[in-house]
Amino acid sequence: MDNTKGKIGIREFLAIILITIGTKVTDNTPTSLFDKVGSAAWITVILMGLFSFIPIYLLTKLIIAYEDQNLIDIIFRLLGKYIGFFVIFLLWTTETYSIVINSATYADIIETMYFVKTPLFFTYIVLIGVAAYGAKKGLEFIGSAAWVSLIGLNIALFVVLILSILQGRFNYVYPILGNGIPEIMKESAMNASILGEFLYLGFIVTSLRSTNVYKKGIWIGFIYVTTVYMLALISYIMLFDYVSIVNLNYPFHETIRFIQLGFLTNVESLFLPFWLVASFLRFSFYLYISALLFGALFKIKQFNYLVPSIAILIVFLGLIPEAPVFTLINLRENFAYLTTPIFLFLPLILWITAKLKGELKK
Amino acid sequence: MVDTIYHSLSLTHSNLQFLYITLYFGGTIRKNMELYIFLEKMRVKRFFKKLLKEEHPPFEKAATEDDLLKKKQIDSSLADTMELFKKIYYVPNNSDVNIRYIEIGGIKKNAAVITISSISNTKLIEELVIRPLLINEDESKEIELLLSPQVRKADVIEDILVEINNGNTTLFVDGEPYAYIISSGNFQGRSVEKAENEVVVKGPKESFNEQAMTNISLIRKRIRDEKLIVESTTISKRAKNELYLVYIKDIANEELITNIKNKLNSLDIDSIQNLSVLEEYLEDHIYSLFPTILYTERPDRASEFIEDGFIVLLMDNSPDSLILPATFWSFFHNSEDHYLRFLFGNFIRILRLMALFITLFISAIYIAITNYHVEMIPADLLLAISSTREIVPFPSLVEILMLEIAFELIREGGLRVPKPIGPTIGIVGALILGQAAVQANLVSPLVVIIVALGGLSSFAIGDTNLNYTVRLLRFPFLISAGVFGLFGLTALFTICLLYVTSIKSFGVPYLAPMTPNDSTAKDTIFRRLVKNELFRPGYLKPKDIEKKAGE
Repeated sequence: MDNTKGKIGIREFLAIILITIGTKVTDNTPTSLFDKVGSAAWITVILMGLFSFIPIYLLTKLIIAYEDQNLIDIIFRLLGKYIGFFVIFLLWTTETYSIVINSATYADIIETMYFVKTPLFFTYIVLIGVAAYGAKKGLEFIGSAAWVSLIGLNIALFVVLILSILQGRFNYVYPILGNGIPEIMKESAMNASILGEFLYLGFIVTSLRSTNVYKKGIWIGFIYVTTVYMLALISYIMLFDYVSIVNLNYPFHETIRFIQLGFLTNVESLFLPFWLVASFLRFSFYLYISALLFGALFKIKQFNYLVPSIAILIVFLGLIPEAPVFTLINLRENFAYLTTPIFLFLPLILWITAKLKGELKK
Repeated sequence: MVDTIYHSLSLTHSNLQFLYITLYFGGTIRKNMELYIFLEKMRVKRFFKKLLKEEHPPFEKAATEDDLLKKKQIDSSLADTMELFKKIYYVPNNSDVNIRYIEIGGIKKNAAVITISSISNTKLIEELVIRPLLINEDESKEIELLLSPQVRKADVIEDILVEINNGNTTLFVDGEPYAYIISSGNFQGRSVEKAENEVVVKGPKESFNEQAMTNISLIRKRIRDEKLIVESTTISKRAKNELYLVYIKDIANEELITNIKNKLNSLDIDSIQNLSVLEEYLEDHIYSLFPTILYTERPDRASEFIEDGFIVLLMDNSPDSLILPATFWSFFHNSEDHYLRFLFGNFIRILRLMALFITLFISAIYIAITNYHVEMIPADLLLAISSTREIVPFPSLVEILMLEIAFELIREGGLRVPKPIGPTIGIVGALILGQAAVQANLVSPLVVIIVALGGLSSFAIGDTNLNYTVRLLRFPFLISAGVFGLFGLTALFTICLLYVTSIKSFGVPYLAPMTPNDSTAKDTIFRRLVKNELFRPGYLKPKDIEKKAGE
């Protein structure tokens, strides 16, 4: 009687994209951009979008060409058993590593901004615990939960954006080009992996109702995420100016501390739950992907049983950095530089191989 | 697979051990992980059961001799048959079982009539069965023609017993190896009354009563469709409780019907008194906080669901119906939503949604904010709160828990109290207790407001099951907020959200049609204009998806 068969539709897929990738704007990802290019950070986002356009386009092409196969199958098929294994392993490592850094950052946000007295360990455990529960349940339910909460999350986000734009100063946007065009070009190329998570969405294609869902979802999500990202960066700069924003580690959370909502002067706790829901779902999805990749590497069919082990591993790795406020941002920056080539060139390599093998003509 | 293995091995210990060994050394561990975990769980369970097992004398089983006897056919000798039935019914002692011997006029044959007088229409038996037989003078007429009501024949003892137990009249004639059965059942019950639990202001007020036939008639009154099927099955072995499946043949999904029928056929119980008990046998998630079968006492609501392709279960002794499958929205909705004008209907939907959130979260949010996020409260309010809290000796979590439990007690007490004393509970509970608790510095006034608001809001959730769900869920939320502030609250909320999306009721996702979406029925939080509700819910896979007739 179950007529969904575990497949997710366009709404759920879109919700996953918006929540997993859109939430990035609320952590310390923007900080490094502001650091390097000053007030022109929002232009970098547009350029990043343009840079990422090509790999995402090629990826979509590939996935549409190989219907009923997800990115893992495609990689194995095009690159062979051994190179394929290596590539997937590389992707799994980077993915898991990014969960470690991101979750450590998020736990740190919760600890430094909201629960100052609570030991980091407990916040971290709860954060990953909930995420692991979701990941264990499966993609279908992460998608459904994401869709149900999406409307609320978006309303909250736009309230923040509108309030901060209203309460910010337009003059602060200048100088428009920040630290100069060369710097903008360099940074946007090097940080393109901020949108690199679109690559991971290729792994769940077989769980979607059709490749059409994938195509539509990817593009709508891509445009939406880039726009929101840009708007958020503009609103941060309008609120704090480029000098002080460099010193803020978590601009989103400083923003919701800064803005006022009518008679409520401190609204950060009002927006905290929405941000938390998004974060939980985000890590659920990442954990799911991590388990999926690991399962694909070592031929484990019921990979959702791997989730608890991976989650525990992540907690212990994430607790290693001391003084996370300083360490994590460096780690993240280096990570972004390292993964950008993978994100930019892997789809290209795959596409060229497919072309050479003559499999795209079908 | 697990079940079959479990049964076939009948779980003797050595067998289990053997299975473990094969699992271990067969190298198929990964494939059989599920089975392995299951067996491991069973082993632990058995160990603990053994540890605490009480010795008891062997229980007696009912005589099987009787059961064998019932499978036989009746004798053609009237005396023998009567002897048998007297024995079965334990007659001289069983006071309302009537056996009446007569001689049929004209044919000159001895006959006997068995009825249970308390559940049959004696006047009808007297006038339409016994009297025509007595006054007959025609020698050639057959017995069936003598009786004016329709007559059935039965020859197996078991079947005859069922008929008698249903209040029907059985006529045994000497020399004939079968009994004549005349419908004369007349069970006592109340008449159709107003719905008491699902009250509406605008719209029909009728409710189901304890007689299944009346309930079916109430539904048929609303759906005059020849495709409306009322199937009946016996679901219990001893009490022989009848269950009626009501659905529309060319709408309801075949697979769903078979699924439910299989589930009903697999029941092996002596007696299921009513639908409320049956509900537990049918549900997939018995331990879950969320109900998966809708329970309604309103025939209009049941008919609405039938017309959408749902299946309704009716039973004698149940002033209600079970509707399956059920989604979260069917619990959230109320029939009045559609009876009120479009905007008003949606207004009460918003109110209900608000009530749901307030009941669930208000006390938890209070705890979270006052304990962890004090900066959120405007300064003046903060001062007001702290000045009232100053004299209260308990932490706010204890304070709220105390009052919440008190409220639940008043509620439960108020429900069970005999009617004449009812108003007293209200006065004592609400006024004196609350007022005195504040004056005695046990709780602060703000907490009384919070708990009262939460409690009152919970009444806006009309469905009994969902009401309990929400009321019970409040406590975990409260505690999580007490432990971890808004972080804990949100963590639990996310877990709930993930859990709710994963529940299935007879294969239908719990939040359908919101997610997974199928763009058919759009009646979730807000209702659409009735003329725009063009489709039946697609998640049921109805045979006819469009609601419009013809064209």
